[in-house]
Order: sequence, then structure tokens, then C-alpha cells
Amino acid sequence: MATHTPTAPALEAAPVPSFHLLDYLRRFYANYTVRTIFKALVTIWAVITFTFFLIRLMPGNPVEVYVDFLMNQQNMTYDEAYSRAASQFRFDPDASPVTQYVEYMGHLLQGDLGESITSSGTRVIDQIARFLPWTIFSVGLGLLISFTLGATLGTIMAYKRNTFIDHTLSLISSILSAVPNYIWGLMILIIFGVQLRWFNVGELRGTYSPTMTPGFTLEFLGDVLKHAMLPVLVYVTGSIGGWMLNMRNSTIGTLGEDYVGVARARGLTSSRILLAYVGRNASLPMFTLLAINIGFIIGGSVIIEELFVYKGIGSFLYWSISQRDYTSMQGVFLIITISVVVSNLMADLLYSRLDPRVRVSGEK
Amino acid sequence: MIGAVKPTIVENTMKNDVILQVQDLSIVYQTPRGDVMATTDVSFDLRKGETMALIGESGSGKTTLSLSFIRMLPNSARVTKGKILYSRDGVTRDILEMSDNEIRRFRWSDCAMVFQGAQNAFNPVLRVRQQFADTAAAHGKTDKAWIKQRTLELFKLVRLDPERVYEAYPHEMSGGMRQRSLLALGVLLDPQIVILDEPTTALDILTQRAIIDVLKEMQQRLNFSIIFISHDLALAAEMASRVATVYAGEIVEEGSVEDIFYRHRHPYTLGLIRSVPRLSRQQDELMSIPGEPPNLITPPSGCKFHPRCMFASDKCKVDPPPLVEYEPGHRAACWHTDKVAAARIAFAAQD
Amino acid sequence: MTATTYEPTRQRSPHFFDSLFASLGIFGLALRRNRAGMVGFIGLMIYAVWVLIGPYLVPFDDQVRLDQIASPPGSRLVMITRVEDVSRYTSLDDLNGQTVGVLDRSGGETMVEPYEDSGALEVETERFSSGRGVPALLDQLAEGDVDAVVLFSDAAKRYLTPSSSGENDYPGLVVSNAELGRPYILGTDTQGRDILSHIVHGGTTLITTALVAGLMSTLIAVVLGAMAALVGGMVDTIVTAIANLVLTIPSFPLLIVLAALIQLNNPLMLALLIALLSWPVLMRAIRSQVLSLRERDYVEAAFALDLGLRHIILREILPNMMSFVAINFIFAVTRAMYDQVGLIFLGMVPINDYTWGVMLYFGRSRGTLFSPDSASMVLSPVIAIALFQVSMVLFARSLEEMFDPRLRTAK
Ligand SMILES: Nc1ncnc2c1ncn2[C@@H]1O[C@H](COP(=O)(O)OP(=O)(O)OP(=O)(O)O)[C@@H](O)[C@H]1O
Ligand SMILES: [Mg+2]
Repeated sequence: MATHTPTAPALEAAPVPSFHLLDYLRRFYANYTVRTIFKALVTIWAVITFTFFLIRLMPGNPVEVYVDFLMNQQNMTYDEAYSRAASQFRFDPDASPVTQYVEYMGHLLQGDLGESITSSGTRVIDQIARFLPWTIFSVGLGLLISFTLGATLGTIMAYKRNTFIDHTLSLISSILSAVPNYIWGLMILIIFGVQLRWFNVGELRGTYSPTMTPGFTLEFLGDVLKHAMLPVLVYVTGSIGGWMLNMRNSTIGTLGEDYVGVARARGLTSSRILLAYVGRNASLPMFTLLAINIGFIIGGSVIIEELFVYKGIGSFLYWSISQRDYTSMQGVFLIITISVVVSNLMADLLYSRLDPRVRVSGEK
Repeated sequence: MIGAVKPTIVENTMKNDVILQVQDLSIVYQTPRGDVMATTDVSFDLRKGETMALIGESGSGKTTLSLSFIRMLPNSARVTKGKILYSRDGVTRDILEMSDNEIRRFRWSDCAMVFQGAQNAFNPVLRVRQQFADTAAAHGKTDKAWIKQRTLELFKLVRLDPERVYEAYPHEMSGGMRQRSLLALGVLLDPQIVILDEPTTALDILTQRAIIDVLKEMQQRLNFSIIFISHDLALAAEMASRVATVYAGEIVEEGSVEDIFYRHRHPYTLGLIRSVPRLSRQQDELMSIPGEPPNLITPPSGCKFHPRCMFASDKCKVDPPPLVEYEPGHRAACWHTDKVAAARIAFAAQD
Repeated sequence: MTATTYEPTRQRSPHFFDSLFASLGIFGLALRRNRAGMVGFIGLMIYAVWVLIGPYLVPFDDQVRLDQIASPPGSRLVMITRVEDVSRYTSLDDLNGQTVGVLDRSGGETMVEPYEDSGALEVETERFSSGRGVPALLDQLAEGDVDAVVLFSDAAKRYLTPSSSGENDYPGLVVSNAELGRPYILGTDTQGRDILSHIVHGGTTLITTALVAGLMSTLIAVVLGAMAALVGGMVDTIVTAIANLVLTIPSFPLLIVLAALIQLNNPLMLALLIALLSWPVLMRAIRSQVLSLRERDYVEAAFALDLGLRHIILREILPNMMSFVAINFIFAVTRAMYDQVGLIFLGMVPINDYTWGVMLYFGRSRGTLFSPDSASMVLSPVIAIALFQVSMVLFARSLEEMFDPRLRTAK
């Protein structure tokens, strides 16, 4: 991806060579990839700043709450408690908020998110490294399945629009997208797990069976998939309806485009038209939606992982909140947000690979 | 592709140089309000290398007619009657009888069409050259070197810089450049017929001019036939060797350019020509055709033009006039051709 | 009827909905053609009645009934005694001071106060978990360890009626009262309370909060979107930047983090928080809509006449976007419902009201979720929420279809 550096290929404009630094930077910034990455970095910075001040300015400031807790529970003096809190939160209590912020950013840049409050000695970043991959895996798999399946079904609906198939699938997708994903999760759990006993709810808890030794064995992989099955199923159920409807509408729009008619007049085979002319153009708007969807699903994973006792970052966030482990909470929230930003970035870059128009103008 | 398909060869009633023969073609659009009779009993011949212009008001059925030649009518359209015979290398086939795969191969390699108002004829996400290659591949031509050479050659022919356009995406070209590329794409497979449905309406006058010149030059070199649809009568006169006037889905007059422009015998053709402003003519002498184009769901009885016709008689209200050949190759459908001729001469004297 | 009409009359008998929709005009006409939209509309009407009138018709059931824990939907209680006691124990009152065997089907903690405190009978209970519990319970009764057993009819039937071979497993036991208590349509919860009454009462706060949140979110989106598009310049840049930032922050995790920091006691506060996190999508849509509307002649004319921003928004632009805004308002409400119930389900919001969300929360925290016998406790609110969301979305989608000519039925 990095090797591809499209420069403005406008046919008329012959770039004037210039060695001016500002000019150079501006041209560099005109590059879609550079600009997108830059924007993502700014967003991440804004989110970090936002969380930092949020945690400190909120009523019931967690630092104060924690200090109170230490004084009451562990009989520390205020100063002791305060310095303990400061070291775990990674800030200097005597410094001004701005210095604290700068210091905090410095730690962050080194990947230091502080220490867990409830289990001291454990670095938050290590906890995150333990739990995050499972969420990326299950959410990613769920998105992949729902996106491809939804896009395929949506295309079928558009090709068969206003037939029985279209009406039925439209209704189904409306219902699927209307009901919250955790409600689907509850239904699946109660109906198929508890009532019909198609699967053993207890056995599927966790990310893999405790008896398994992690490794790249087929057995372990199968076990991991088995445990991810329910969350993934819920992510797919909860988001496929949206993909179907959007792809349907987008495809109906694309089918009316001039170039599709011209492609038919050119005698192209219907499969070629479907893939390279209709499908590819119709799926473009879906990539903008991908960004919104990723955030939504990762956000919802807190409930889904908690429901299925799947030990990902969402259930870790819930755990740290219920334990009032503020450093973990802050770190996890940051990481979740950064994951969303990075996924959006990837969706954007993918989009630019698919649509030559955005590489130059930068506008979708 | 499917070897087993036996071509249903129609008995060859066509003269040697006729490549497209339309016989009694009728087309309706089925709508909730009733059937729109967009084409009624149309018959005409198209010869090799000639340019036939279709003129007529908006809604008269020009696009419908030409879409039927490549079987690209919308789903709501039904061909209720007639044949469209197409002849190549001595074999004559009815286009309406072709299988789906046959019609797919017929499109573009035998008959290419530039659609009306198709500003985005090119897929925005593929390079122009990929779309040329796509077209060639769909018709079994996969020799990359040949495709590239042919593409570059055609770009030169339409006066585009081949190197620049070859790698370009559609959005990197101007409207005029795209239209020229489309013309180049149109003749990629050496079709016998190119249908141009108002190919220059969206372009400025200079670009229009350039495109017309390019078209003429291409036709001279490649010797294909053109069906040319335009509201610009001067352009039609310049491009065409034959002209057909279409009114309410029927061909009401057909003949050589001279026949139509100087010896027209149908009052509608007269009206069309008189409604074009000319430098030599006073503004108030401009004549417009009174009334509205007819409702094609319930068209008028007799001659469909009679409600708007200044020569209409009682006979016109009852009997539809047949298309009669007055001079060799000049046909008109009117009961009062003599009155039209007299009026035409009177107008000419005024000018 | 007697008057002569020259107009062709339609060959259809008048329908109840004809008159209803006639009053709703074009909207009704369009809706009648869209069957899914119709279902959604009727669904919403039912919910409206339910939320507004239901609570007055069905009182909230707070009566703890230890003998009716997790009653299956529609099931009644029966009393079983030994043959010799059949005339002694026929009503619950007869059991005062005796030991009664009851079946605990909740599958989890039952969380009840001591029997005496509940104000119910003064009886001692032996509790048996479901499944293998019934035979054990009946054995105890046969042996005289308990004096009576109170069971749901389905379980009693299984063991006390002669099987096909004509054998009765417990010949010494009989049903002394087959119609104890009353059946509950949706069954009872882990404390023996009527689930139906909770379902009737549990929607009001949720739906109101969701509506308020949706309204606030829509309002913020419309105002900011219109402002960004009409004022442009710096305002546009800043509003768009904030929207993009809020859009990237996953709102649900932020909501639970906030819920951990501040007490979300007040539903209004919760609605505001949800609204503050959910306006950007609509705002961006409104912004681009207004930008394109601005190009139109009549809005330009209004600008030229210098009619003021408020006038232009209220009089020229909003009326043209009403359908669009209405549709998005509905989606904002469903979204607020998602956030709200999610928060309650995780136990992040203090419980003031016994809502559908709280029922889900108890289902999870008390383990009833995993008991095959108490499905109704969790499934009832699940279905209530699901149907509400489905009605909303079906209605919104049909509106969308009605107003988007691109999607409107074409050939
Ligand atoms: N898809 C359709 N469904 C119903 N009626 C149609 C459809 N397409 C065209 N028509 C009707 O058929 C008639 C002929 O239309 P057509 O597009 O062929 O006219 P045209 O001569 O090409 O007009 P223009 O000069 O404006 O392009 C018109 O009355 C039109 O309303
Ligand atoms: Mg046309």
C-alpha cells in the first residue's frame, strides 16, 4: 500500500518544479494517502486529549475517588494516597494540568498507559495486549462475513427488485437491522442454547477451552472458532440487514447509470457487468458506511462479550468499570477509540484503491 | 459460443447493399395508464456506408426505434409486430429472433450505439484502456498487442493524444474528450452500423464541430453506416444522405437529403423545416407547428397529424394515409402532398 | 346510496382503515400500498396505547408469591396432598403452620425476603430445583416430610396421572385443589410476580426517554447542520470537525465510561447524553441536503430578499426536508433505545424503574437467563423491545420509500 503514491495526474496541469519547502509539503499533503493518515493522527490526538481532560474534569474525578478509596481502605494519609494515585495514573500531582498533560502524552508515546489500580504491578498495556486481539478477531470476522454476505444479498435484491424475493429479503433485513444486536444475542442464547440445547452455553464461554494449549494447531484453531461462533453470529445478525439494504439501494442507483447501459450495449457478459461495472461502483458508498459500522460494532462488543463471557477488550472494559479500575478504563477506552480510527483509516485507504476519483480530489 | 445453435437464416429478400431492413415494426410501452404506441408500422432500409438521419419532435419515438435495433428497450416495452432483418457477409438474420448470447455478440461488433445524453458512458473506476480491452474481450479478441495498437490508432483517428488518454481514468477527461473516446470505442470492433442518438447535444459548438468532422472522417475510412438522430436539422442535413421524418411513432416521410429539405411532401416535415430560424429569414416569419404532440396511448384517428395540420380535410380524420413513393426513394404519407408542394413553393418565393 | 353518481365506484367494501386513512390523506394512501409500513404503523399505534393507557388498566404487580416462582406462561398451581389429607388441605389458608414443598424453577438466586416479611402465609417451605426436583419433592410428601406440595399443573400432570400402562407413580398422592391461584399469561418472575404487569409498565420510561433523546439529537443535528451549511466558513469547518470527532468516538463505550463517572439517575440526563453522542450522522446528511437545497431558486430568492437565517431555515428549508428529518428522527429513537437498554442491561444505570431493560438486567444477574423453565422472564422484555424497534424501523423504511423517488416502485 505504501508504495502506491499517486500524484495528481490531471491532464492539463503540468506541475511547475519548485524547491520551496512549503510548496513541497503542500504537494505531499495533496497525496490522498498522506492526507488520510495525517487526519487519522489528528483524530487520535484529539481523542487522547479529550479523554485526558474528561477523566480529570468530570464530577467524581476518578483520581479523587481513588485517593479517597486508598485513605479509607488502606489507612493511608492523603499525601501517601495521592502520590500512589499519581504514579499509577502516570502524572505528577504537583504539576499544572498542562504539564501533567504533556507528561501523560510523553508516557503515551512510549506506549505506557499506566498501571492497573486493582491489580497493582500489572501494566494496562499488557492487559490490553492480552484482550484486544480477540476482539479484533471476532469483530473483524463478523464484519467480513456480514459485509460480503450482505453485499451479495443486496445485489440479488436489486437485480430482482420488486419481486417476491426482494420484498421478502427487504423485510428480513429491516427486521434484522431494527433489533439491537444484544437482543439477538439474548434470543439466540435462550432459544437455541437454553431451550433447544443446540449448543452448550457453558462450554462456549471464554475465547478458548481452558484445556487447550494455545498454538498454531488445527485443534486449537477449531476451538477458537467454536468459542468465537456466538459473538460472530450476533455481529453478523446485527449488521447484515444494514448492508443488504444499503447495497440494494446503491445497486439500484448504479443499475440506472449510463455506463451500465453502455456496457450492455457493448456486449459485455452479464457476469463482467455485474462484477466490474455494477458491483464495484455500487459497493463504493458501503465503504463510507464501513467506518460508522466499525465504531458501532466495537462499541456494542462490550455487551456482546459480556453476554457470552468472551474475554475480549469489551468485556475487559466492563470489568474495569465494575472494579472502578480507572487507569485500565481510561487505557481501554483510548485503545478502543484508536482501533476505530485505525479501522476507518484502513477503510478509507481501501476506498481510495477502489475509486480513482478520490485519490486526486480527496472528496468522496 | 454455443456451437449447436443453428442460425435461422431468413430467406434473403434484401438487395445486395442493404444491411438493415425494418419491416412493419410496432413497439408499445406497457404503462399503468395504458399502452404507449411508441413505434407503429415502421419500415425502412439502411444501406451499407450510408447515413440515415431521423428527425422529429421530442417524444416522437426516435430513441425507441433505434434501441430496438440492439434490443435494448426497457422491460416495459413490447415489440408487437414486425421484423428487423440484419445482413452480414451474405447471411441475413432477424435481430428479434436472436438468442441472448447471439444478441450480446451482435451488440457493438455489428451495431454500436452512442446513447442520448450519456454523459457517463465510461465506468468511473476503470481506466479507459481497460474498457476498450473489456469490449474486445467480450467479443473474443484477447490479443493484447492487437488491442493496444488498435486502441492507440483509434485515439489518433478521433484526434486525441493517444499516450495521454490511454492510461487515463474517465474523470480525468473533459466531456468532449470522453465523447471522442466513446466514438473511438464505438468503431473498435469494426461494426457495420453505428447509431448516434444526439451525440453532440451536451457539447459546446466548437467541440460539436470537431466531433462531426471526426465522425465524417471515420466513416470515410471505415465505411460503416450511421443512424443519426438529431434535433439540429442543419447538422442532420450535413451528415446524412437519407432522412426520415418521424411523427407519433410513424415514419411519415423518407427520402434523400434533397428530397426532404427541398422537395418535402409532408406538412409535418414542412413545419419542422420552417420552424428553424435562418439568417435570411425574418423572425416573425418563423412558423411553429400549432398544438401539442399527440397522446400516444389514444392517438388521433386517421392521419395522426390531422389535428395540427393546416391542410387537414375530413378524409384525413378517418383514413390513415399510406406511405406512397412519389419519386424513386422518396416516400410520404399524406393525402394532400400537392397542397404541401404548393405551400413549399410559395414559402420559398417569400424567402 | 340512493343518489345517482356518474362516477365509477370502486368495487370494494368499505374498510375500517379506509376511513382512518382518509383522514390522514395522501400519507395514508401511500401507506396502504406498503404492507410492511402498515404493519409498522399499526405496531406503533399499539405501543402508544400500551404505554399511555396500559399502566392504568393493569396495576404493577409487586406481590411476592413464594409458591409461584417462575410460573410458566398460562400455568396454574395445583395442590397435592396425601390421600388421607385430601379434605384437610384444600386451600392455601389450610396450610398455615405446615410445611409445604414448592418447586423453584428460577434456575438462579430467587432473591426473596424471608417468608414472614412478605406478608404471606406462615408456612415453612422446602425448595427444590426444577428438573429432577419434582420426584424428590413428591417422595418427601409421600414419606410425610412435608404436608403438601404446591406445583404447576404441567409438572403435576406428568407424575400423577396414570401413564399409558395404567400405572400411577404415586398412588398415595392426589390433587386436592386443581385451581389454586390464577394463571398468568406471561408467567411469573423469580419472586412470583406477574410478568405481564411488568411488561405493561416497563415501556413507559424507556420509550419516553428514547423519544426525548431522539428529539434532542434531531434538534441538534438540524440546527447545527443547517447552520454549517448556511453560514459556512469557520462555523462550517468547526461543526464538521466536531461531528467527525464525535462520529469516531465509539459512543457506547463512552457512555458506559461516563455512566461510571457520573450518576445517571435522571432519565433526562441520560437522554441528553445519548443525544450528544448521536447527532453527527444526521447533521452531516442535513448539511449536505441544505447545501443542495440552497442552490434551488426559492431559497436563493429568500437569501436575496434577506429574510434572515431563522426564516430561511424554518420557512424554506425545513418544510422541504420534513420527511427526511422525520425518518431520521425515528432512527435516532431506535438508536437511543439501543444505548439506553444496553446501559441498563449492563447495570450501568441506577435502577429507579422496573423497565424492560431492568428485567433483562435481572435475568442476567440472577442467572434466570440460563434456566430452561424461566424463559418467559427474559424473552418477554426481549420481544417487547424487539417488536418496538421493528415497528419503528418498518415505519421509517416505508416513509423512506414513499419519499425517495429513486426507491419508489418503478418497473
Ligand atoms: N420507458 C418508457 N415507458 C413508457 N413510455 C415511454 C418510455 N420511454 C419512452 N416512452 C414514450 O415513448 C414515446 C417515444 O419516446 P422516445 O424516447 O423514443 O422519443 P424520442 O423521439 O427519442 O424523443 P427525444 O427527442 O426527446 O429523445 C414518448 O411518448 C415517450 O413518452
Ligand atoms: Mg430520444
